[in-house]
Amino acid sequence: MLTAEDQMAIELHLADFLKKSEAQWSALVDKGGNLFAQNGDTGTLDLSILSALAAGSFAATHELAKRLGESEFSALYHEGHGQHILMSALHHECLLVTIFGEKTNIGLVRFYAQQVTGSLNDLLQVAREKEAQASPLLLEGDFLNDTAAIT
Amino acid sequence: MAFINYSSREIQLKIVYYGAALCGKTTNLVTLHKQITHAQKGELVSLATDADRTLFFDFLSLNTRTLPGFTTRFQLYTVPGQAIYNTTRQLVLKGVDGIVFVVDSHWEKMADNVESFANLQENLIENHLSLVQIPYVLQYNKRDIPNAAPVNYLEYTFNNRANRALAFEGVAATGLGVLETLNAAARLLLAKYSKTPNANVTGLAQANPTVAVPPPVDDPRVKAEAV
Repeated sequence: MLTAEDQMAIELHLADFLKKSEAQWSALVDKGGNLFAQNGDTGTLDLSILSALAAGSFAATHELAKRLGESEFSALYHEGHGQHILMSALHHECLLVTIFGEKTNIGLVRFYAQQVTGSLNDLLQVAREKEAQASPLLLEGDFLNDTAAIT
Repeated sequence: MAFINYSSREIQLKIVYYGAALCGKTTNLVTLHKQITHAQKGELVSLATDADRTLFFDFLSLNTRTLPGFTTRFQLYTVPGQAIYNTTRQLVLKGVDGIVFVVDSHWEKMADNVESFANLQENLIENHLSLVQIPYVLQYNKRDIPNAAPVNYLEYTFNNRANRALAFEGVAATGLGVLETLNAAARLLLAKYSKTPNANVTGLAQANPTVAVPPPVDDPRVKAEAV
Protein backbone atom coordinates (compact mmCIF):
# COMPACT_ATOMS: atom_id res chain seq x y z
CA MET A 1 0.00 0.00 0.00
CA LEU A 2 1.32 3.43 -0.92
CA THR A 3 -0.28 6.71 0.10
CA ALA A 4 0.05 9.78 -2.09
CA GLU A 5 2.52 11.15 0.44
CA ASP A 6 4.70 8.00 0.30
CA GLN A 7 4.65 7.98 -3.46
CA MET A 8 5.63 11.62 -3.71
CA ALA A 9 8.53 11.10 -1.30
CA ILE A 10 9.78 8.08 -3.26
CA GLU A 11 9.47 9.90 -6.58
CA LEU A 12 11.43 12.86 -5.22
CA HIS A 13 14.26 10.53 -4.24
CA LEU A 14 14.16 8.86 -7.65
CA ALA A 15 14.24 12.25 -9.39
CA ASP A 16 17.25 13.32 -7.32
CA PHE A 17 18.98 10.02 -8.08
CA LEU A 18 18.38 10.45 -11.82
CA LYS A 19 19.70 14.00 -11.73
CA LYS A 20 22.91 12.99 -9.98
CA SER A 21 23.55 9.78 -11.87
CA GLU A 22 22.36 11.11 -15.25
CA ALA A 23 20.40 7.91 -15.74
CA GLN A 24 17.29 7.88 -17.90
CA TRP A 25 14.62 6.16 -15.84
CA SER A 26 14.32 4.62 -12.43
CA ALA A 27 11.58 2.72 -10.64
CA LEU A 28 10.70 1.02 -7.42
CA VAL A 29 9.30 -2.41 -8.22
CA ASP A 30 8.38 -5.26 -5.92
CA LYS A 31 9.63 -8.79 -6.44
CA GLY A 32 6.14 -9.86 -7.51
CA GLY A 33 6.45 -7.52 -10.52
CA ASN A 34 4.30 -4.60 -9.27
CA LEU A 35 5.42 -1.11 -10.20
CA PHE A 36 5.28 1.11 -7.09
CA ALA A 37 6.76 4.38 -8.28
CA GLN A 38 8.85 5.64 -11.18
CA ASN A 39 10.58 8.70 -12.55
CA GLY A 40 12.22 9.56 -15.84
CA ASP A 41 11.49 8.76 -19.43
CA THR A 42 11.19 5.40 -21.17
CA GLY A 43 9.37 6.61 -24.25
CA THR A 44 6.65 4.20 -25.28
CA LEU A 45 7.89 1.23 -23.26
CA ASP A 46 5.16 -0.68 -21.40
CA LEU A 47 6.13 -0.22 -17.77
CA SER A 48 4.07 -3.20 -16.55
CA ILE A 49 6.02 -5.49 -18.83
CA LEU A 50 9.28 -3.87 -17.84
CA SER A 51 8.49 -4.39 -14.15
CA ALA A 52 7.39 -8.00 -14.63
CA LEU A 53 10.53 -8.86 -16.60
CA ALA A 54 12.83 -7.07 -14.15
CA ALA A 55 11.28 -8.89 -11.20
CA GLY A 56 11.54 -12.21 -13.05
CA SER A 57 15.14 -11.59 -13.99
CA PHE A 58 16.08 -10.67 -10.45
CA ALA A 59 14.22 -13.68 -9.05
CA ALA A 60 16.18 -16.01 -11.33
CA THR A 61 19.42 -14.37 -10.20
CA HIS A 62 18.39 -14.78 -6.58
CA GLU A 63 18.07 -18.52 -7.15
CA LEU A 64 21.52 -18.59 -8.75
CA ALA A 65 22.92 -16.78 -5.71
CA LYS A 66 21.34 -19.30 -3.35
CA ARG A 67 22.94 -22.15 -5.23
CA LEU A 68 26.33 -20.46 -4.91
CA GLY A 69 25.81 -20.16 -1.16
CA GLU A 70 25.08 -16.43 -1.28
CA SER A 71 21.95 -15.10 0.41
CA GLU A 72 21.39 -12.70 -2.49
CA PHE A 73 23.24 -10.82 -5.22
CA SER A 74 22.69 -7.23 -4.18
CA ALA A 75 22.78 -5.90 -7.73
CA LEU A 76 22.32 -7.13 -11.26
CA TYR A 77 23.62 -5.35 -14.35
CA HIS A 78 22.64 -5.96 -17.97
CA GLU A 79 24.85 -4.24 -20.52
CA GLY A 80 23.49 -3.40 -23.96
CA HIS A 81 24.95 -1.55 -26.92
CA GLY A 82 23.30 1.76 -26.12
CA GLN A 83 21.14 1.11 -23.10
CA HIS A 84 21.83 -0.70 -19.86
CA ILE A 85 19.87 -1.80 -16.81
CA LEU A 86 20.97 -1.91 -13.20
CA MET A 87 18.77 -3.65 -10.63
CA SER A 88 19.54 -3.17 -6.95
CA ALA A 89 17.96 -5.10 -4.10
CA LEU A 90 16.02 -3.13 -1.51
CA HIS A 91 14.41 -4.24 1.73
CA HIS A 92 10.76 -5.33 1.95
CA GLU A 93 10.90 -7.47 -1.20
CA CYS A 94 11.54 -4.50 -3.47
CA LEU A 95 13.98 -3.57 -6.24
CA LEU A 96 15.35 -0.37 -7.65
CA VAL A 97 15.43 -0.67 -11.44
CA THR A 98 17.46 1.88 -13.38
CA ILE A 99 17.81 2.31 -17.13
CA PHE A 100 20.66 4.43 -18.42
CA GLY A 101 22.38 5.21 -21.69
CA GLU A 102 25.67 6.58 -22.98
CA LYS A 103 25.40 9.89 -21.10
CA THR A 104 26.66 8.20 -17.96
CA ASN A 105 28.42 5.02 -16.86
CA ILE A 106 27.83 2.04 -14.61
CA GLY A 107 30.23 3.29 -11.93
CA LEU A 108 28.39 6.55 -11.44
CA VAL A 109 24.94 4.98 -11.60
CA ARG A 110 25.93 2.27 -9.15
CA PHE A 111 27.46 4.79 -6.73
CA TYR A 112 24.30 6.91 -6.56
CA ALA A 113 22.07 3.83 -6.59
CA GLN A 114 23.79 2.62 -3.43
CA GLN A 115 23.16 6.01 -1.85
CA VAL A 116 19.49 6.18 -2.72
CA THR A 117 18.74 2.60 -1.64
CA GLY A 118 19.29 3.63 2.01
CA SER A 119 16.72 6.42 1.77
CA LEU A 120 14.27 4.22 -0.14
CA ASN A 121 14.60 1.47 2.46
CA ASP A 122 13.68 4.00 5.17
CA LEU A 123 10.65 5.17 3.19
CA LEU A 124 9.55 1.58 2.58
CA GLN A 125 9.84 0.87 6.30
CA VAL A 126 7.58 3.84 7.08
CA ALA A 127 5.08 2.74 4.40
CA ARG A 128 5.09 -0.81 5.80
CA GLU A 129 4.37 0.44 9.32
CA LYS A 130 1.52 2.62 8.04
CA GLU A 131 0.10 -0.32 6.12
CA ALA A 132 0.10 -2.50 9.23
CA GLN A 133 -2.01 0.09 11.06
CA ALA A 134 -4.31 1.09 8.19
CA SER A 135 -7.87 -0.16 7.83
CA PRO A 136 -8.42 -2.45 4.84
CA LEU A 137 -9.77 -0.82 1.68
CA LEU A 138 -13.50 -1.51 1.50
CA LEU A 139 -15.77 -0.15 -1.21
CA GLU A 140 -19.52 0.02 -1.87
CA GLY A 141 -20.75 -2.80 -4.08
CA ASP A 142 -21.03 -6.56 -4.35
CA PHE A 143 -18.23 -7.31 -6.74
CA LEU A 144 -18.74 -11.07 -6.59
CA ASN A 145 -22.12 -10.90 -8.30
CA ASP A 146 -21.48 -7.72 -10.22
CA THR A 147 -22.29 -7.75 -13.89
CA ALA A 148 -19.22 -5.60 -14.63
CA ALA A 149 -16.80 -7.83 -16.44
CA ILE A 150 -13.57 -7.80 -18.35
CA THR A 151 -14.53 -7.83 -22.01
CA MET B 1 -0.08 -9.62 -2.61
CA ALA B 2 -2.36 -6.93 -3.98
CA PHE B 3 -0.73 -3.55 -4.24
CA ILE B 4 -2.89 -0.47 -3.64
CA ASN B 5 -1.63 2.88 -4.83
CA TYR B 6 -3.78 5.62 -3.31
CA SER B 7 -1.96 8.28 -5.25
CA SER B 8 -2.79 6.93 -8.70
CA ARG B 9 -5.97 5.21 -7.38
CA GLU B 10 -4.81 1.90 -8.78
CA ILE B 11 -4.98 -1.66 -7.47
CA GLN B 12 -2.62 -4.23 -8.96
CA LEU B 13 -3.67 -7.87 -8.73
CA LYS B 14 -1.68 -10.88 -9.88
CA ILE B 15 -3.46 -13.93 -11.33
CA VAL B 16 -1.39 -17.00 -12.15
CA TYR B 17 -2.52 -19.67 -14.63
CA TYR B 18 -1.21 -22.97 -13.30
CA GLY B 19 -1.45 -26.52 -14.61
CA ALA B 20 0.36 -29.46 -16.16
CA ALA B 21 2.53 -29.19 -19.27
CA LEU B 22 0.58 -28.51 -22.47
CA CYS B 23 -2.76 -28.15 -20.64
CA GLY B 24 -3.49 -24.80 -22.32
CA LYS B 25 -2.25 -22.08 -19.96
CA THR B 26 -0.46 -20.09 -22.65
CA THR B 27 -3.37 -20.67 -25.04
CA ASN B 28 -5.68 -19.07 -22.46
CA LEU B 29 -3.56 -15.91 -22.46
CA VAL B 30 -3.18 -15.85 -26.24
CA THR B 31 -6.95 -16.17 -26.61
CA LEU B 32 -7.62 -13.53 -23.96
CA HIS B 33 -5.29 -11.18 -25.76
CA LYS B 34 -7.34 -11.66 -28.93
CA GLN B 35 -10.78 -11.66 -27.27
CA ILE B 36 -10.45 -8.67 -24.97
CA THR B 37 -11.43 -5.53 -26.80
CA HIS B 38 -12.74 -3.11 -24.16
CA ALA B 39 -10.24 -3.39 -21.32
CA GLN B 40 -6.95 -1.62 -21.92
CA LYS B 41 -4.46 -4.41 -22.54
CA GLY B 42 -0.70 -4.56 -22.85
CA GLU B 43 1.40 -6.63 -25.16
CA LEU B 44 1.44 -10.38 -24.53
CA VAL B 45 4.96 -11.32 -23.52
CA SER B 46 6.09 -14.94 -23.75
CA LEU B 47 9.40 -16.15 -22.40
CA ALA B 48 9.42 -19.39 -24.34
CA THR B 49 11.83 -21.84 -25.93
CA ASP B 50 12.30 -22.10 -29.69
CA ALA B 51 9.71 -24.86 -29.63
CA ASP B 52 7.15 -22.46 -28.08
CA ARG B 53 7.25 -24.16 -24.69
CA THR B 54 7.04 -21.72 -21.79
CA LEU B 55 10.49 -21.31 -20.26
CA PHE B 56 9.80 -18.71 -17.57
CA PHE B 57 6.35 -17.18 -17.89
CA ASP B 58 3.84 -15.51 -20.18
CA PHE B 59 2.57 -12.13 -19.11
CA LEU B 60 -0.45 -10.02 -19.99
CA SER B 61 -1.52 -6.83 -18.24
CA LEU B 62 -5.14 -5.60 -18.27
CA ASN B 63 -6.45 -2.28 -16.98
CA THR B 64 -10.12 -2.21 -16.05
CA ARG B 65 -12.59 0.00 -14.24
CA THR B 66 -14.27 -2.74 -12.27
CA LEU B 67 -14.01 -1.02 -8.87
CA PRO B 68 -15.54 2.39 -8.10
CA GLY B 69 -12.90 5.09 -7.95
CA PHE B 70 -10.00 2.77 -8.72
CA THR B 71 -8.36 1.41 -11.81
CA THR B 72 -7.73 -2.29 -11.46
CA ARG B 73 -4.67 -3.66 -13.16
CA PHE B 74 -4.82 -7.43 -13.54
CA GLN B 75 -1.44 -8.95 -14.22
CA LEU B 76 -1.88 -12.38 -15.74
CA TYR B 77 1.00 -14.85 -15.62
CA THR B 78 1.41 -18.45 -16.66
CA VAL B 79 3.93 -20.88 -15.21
CA PRO B 80 6.01 -23.36 -17.22
CA GLY B 81 4.27 -26.72 -16.92
CA GLN B 82 7.25 -29.01 -17.46
CA ALA B 83 8.39 -30.81 -14.33
CA ILE B 84 11.98 -29.55 -14.51
CA TYR B 85 10.93 -25.92 -14.10
CA ASN B 86 9.63 -26.17 -10.55
CA THR B 87 11.87 -23.43 -9.19
CA THR B 88 10.53 -21.12 -11.87
CA ARG B 89 6.96 -21.95 -10.86
CA GLN B 90 7.79 -21.02 -7.28
CA LEU B 91 9.20 -17.68 -8.47
CA VAL B 92 6.15 -16.85 -10.58
CA LEU B 93 3.86 -17.55 -7.61
CA LYS B 94 5.57 -14.84 -5.57
CA GLY B 95 2.98 -12.22 -4.67
CA VAL B 96 0.09 -14.14 -6.27
CA ASP B 97 -3.45 -12.94 -5.51
CA GLY B 98 -5.52 -15.50 -7.43
CA ILE B 99 -5.06 -18.72 -9.37
CA VAL B 100 -6.67 -20.28 -12.41
CA PHE B 101 -5.88 -23.99 -12.39
CA VAL B 102 -6.18 -25.37 -15.91
CA VAL B 103 -7.04 -29.07 -16.14
CA ASP B 104 -6.34 -30.98 -19.34
CA SER B 105 -9.43 -33.11 -20.06
CA HIS B 106 -7.47 -35.90 -21.76
CA TRP B 107 -7.79 -39.15 -19.80
CA GLU B 108 -4.11 -39.76 -20.40
CA LYS B 109 -3.24 -36.46 -18.70
CA MET B 110 -5.11 -37.13 -15.45
CA ALA B 111 -2.04 -38.21 -13.50
CA ASP B 112 -0.16 -35.10 -14.74
CA ASN B 113 -3.09 -32.89 -13.72
CA VAL B 114 -3.20 -34.41 -10.24
CA GLU B 115 0.56 -34.07 -9.86
CA SER B 116 0.39 -30.45 -10.96
CA PHE B 117 -2.40 -29.66 -8.48
CA ALA B 118 -0.35 -31.21 -5.68
CA ASN B 119 2.69 -29.28 -6.91
CA LEU B 120 0.68 -26.05 -6.80
CA GLN B 121 -0.17 -26.64 -3.16
CA GLU B 122 3.46 -27.44 -2.31
CA ASN B 123 4.72 -24.33 -4.11
CA LEU B 124 2.16 -22.15 -2.35
CA ILE B 125 3.49 -23.46 0.96
CA GLU B 126 7.01 -22.50 -0.21
CA ASN B 127 5.61 -18.97 -0.62
CA HIS B 128 3.89 -19.15 2.81
CA LEU B 129 0.46 -19.34 1.16
CA SER B 130 -2.27 -21.91 0.70
CA LEU B 131 -5.45 -22.50 -1.32
CA VAL B 132 -7.45 -21.55 1.78
CA GLN B 133 -6.14 -17.98 1.50
CA ILE B 134 -5.77 -17.63 -2.24
CA PRO B 135 -8.94 -17.55 -4.33
CA TYR B 136 -8.82 -19.99 -7.23
CA VAL B 137 -10.99 -21.23 -10.03
CA LEU B 138 -10.78 -24.37 -12.13
CA GLN B 139 -10.96 -24.58 -15.88
CA TYR B 140 -11.62 -27.98 -17.45
CA ASN B 141 -9.95 -27.34 -20.77
CA LYS B 142 -10.01 -29.18 -24.11
CA ARG B 143 -13.65 -30.22 -23.73
CA ASP B 144 -13.82 -30.66 -27.52
CA ILE B 145 -11.56 -33.69 -27.67
CA PRO B 146 -13.28 -37.03 -28.35
CA ASN B 147 -11.89 -38.82 -25.29
CA ALA B 148 -12.44 -36.07 -22.74
CA ALA B 149 -12.91 -37.24 -19.17
CA PRO B 150 -16.46 -36.57 -17.92
CA VAL B 151 -16.95 -33.35 -16.01
CA ASN B 152 -18.32 -35.15 -12.95
CA TYR B 153 -15.11 -37.19 -12.82
CA LEU B 154 -13.00 -34.02 -13.01
CA GLU B 155 -15.17 -32.46 -10.32
CA TYR B 156 -14.66 -35.48 -8.09
CA THR B 157 -10.91 -35.42 -8.68
CA PHE B 158 -10.16 -31.69 -8.42
CA ASN B 159 -13.13 -30.14 -6.67
CA ASN B 160 -14.14 -32.61 -4.02
CA ARG B 161 -13.79 -30.36 -0.99
CA ALA B 162 -16.05 -28.85 1.63
CA ASN B 163 -15.80 -25.51 -0.17
CA ARG B 164 -15.94 -26.11 -3.86
CA ALA B 165 -14.21 -23.83 -6.33
CA LEU B 166 -15.89 -22.29 -9.32
CA ALA B 167 -15.30 -24.57 -12.29
CA PHE B 168 -15.67 -23.85 -15.99
CA GLU B 169 -15.61 -26.03 -19.07
CA GLY B 170 -13.40 -24.55 -21.73
CA VAL B 171 -11.79 -24.90 -25.09
CA ALA B 172 -9.01 -22.34 -24.81
CA ALA B 173 -8.01 -22.68 -28.46
CA THR B 174 -11.45 -21.52 -29.64
CA GLY B 175 -12.14 -19.17 -26.75
CA LEU B 176 -14.92 -21.18 -25.08
CA GLY B 177 -14.99 -20.46 -21.36
CA VAL B 178 -11.80 -18.40 -21.40
CA LEU B 179 -13.27 -14.99 -20.53
CA GLU B 180 -15.73 -16.58 -18.11
CA THR B 181 -12.87 -18.22 -16.23
CA LEU B 182 -10.90 -14.98 -15.99
CA ASN B 183 -13.94 -12.97 -14.91
CA ALA B 184 -14.75 -15.48 -12.18
CA ALA B 185 -11.22 -15.27 -10.83
CA ALA B 186 -11.31 -11.47 -11.09
CA ARG B 187 -14.61 -11.23 -9.20
CA LEU B 188 -13.34 -13.43 -6.39
CA LEU B 189 -10.38 -11.08 -5.99
CA LEU B 190 -12.44 -7.89 -6.24
CA ALA B 191 -15.04 -9.17 -3.77
CA LYS B 192 -12.40 -8.88 -1.06
CA TYR B 193 -12.81 -5.11 -1.37
CA SER B 194 -16.59 -5.17 -0.87
CA LYS B 195 -18.02 -3.57 2.26
CA THR B 196 -20.69 -6.24 2.20
CA PRO B 197 -19.22 -9.43 3.66
CA ASN B 198 -19.68 -12.41 1.40
CA ALA B 199 -19.30 -15.90 2.81
CA ASN B 200 -17.96 -17.18 -0.48
CA VAL B 201 -15.00 -14.89 -0.75
CA THR B 202 -12.36 -16.54 1.36
CA GLY B 203 -11.07 -18.31 -1.67
CA LEU B 204 -13.71 -20.71 -2.77
CA ALA B 205 -17.28 -20.48 -3.91
CA GLN B 206 -20.02 -22.92 -4.82
CA ALA B 207 -21.12 -22.07 -8.31
CA ASN B 208 -21.23 -25.17 -10.40
CA PRO B 209 -24.40 -27.14 -9.74
CA THR B 210 -22.68 -30.36 -10.75
CA VAL B 211 -22.64 -32.74 -7.80
CA ALA B 212 -19.37 -34.53 -7.31
CA VAL B 213 -19.81 -38.24 -7.86
CA PRO B 214 -17.39 -41.15 -7.44
CA PRO B 215 -15.18 -41.81 -10.47
CA PRO B 216 -15.81 -44.72 -12.80
CA VAL B 217 -13.40 -46.97 -10.93
CA ASP B 218 -13.83 -49.83 -13.35
CA ASP B 219 -12.37 -47.74 -16.14
CA PRO B 220 -8.78 -48.98 -16.62
CA ARG B 221 -7.72 -45.57 -17.86
CA VAL B 222 -8.33 -44.03 -14.48
CA LYS B 223 -5.02 -43.98 -12.67
CA ALA B 224 -5.14 -40.66 -10.88
CA GLU B 225 -6.15 -40.44 -7.28
CA ALA B 226 -8.35 -37.69 -5.96
CA VAL B 227 -6.39 -34.82 -4.47
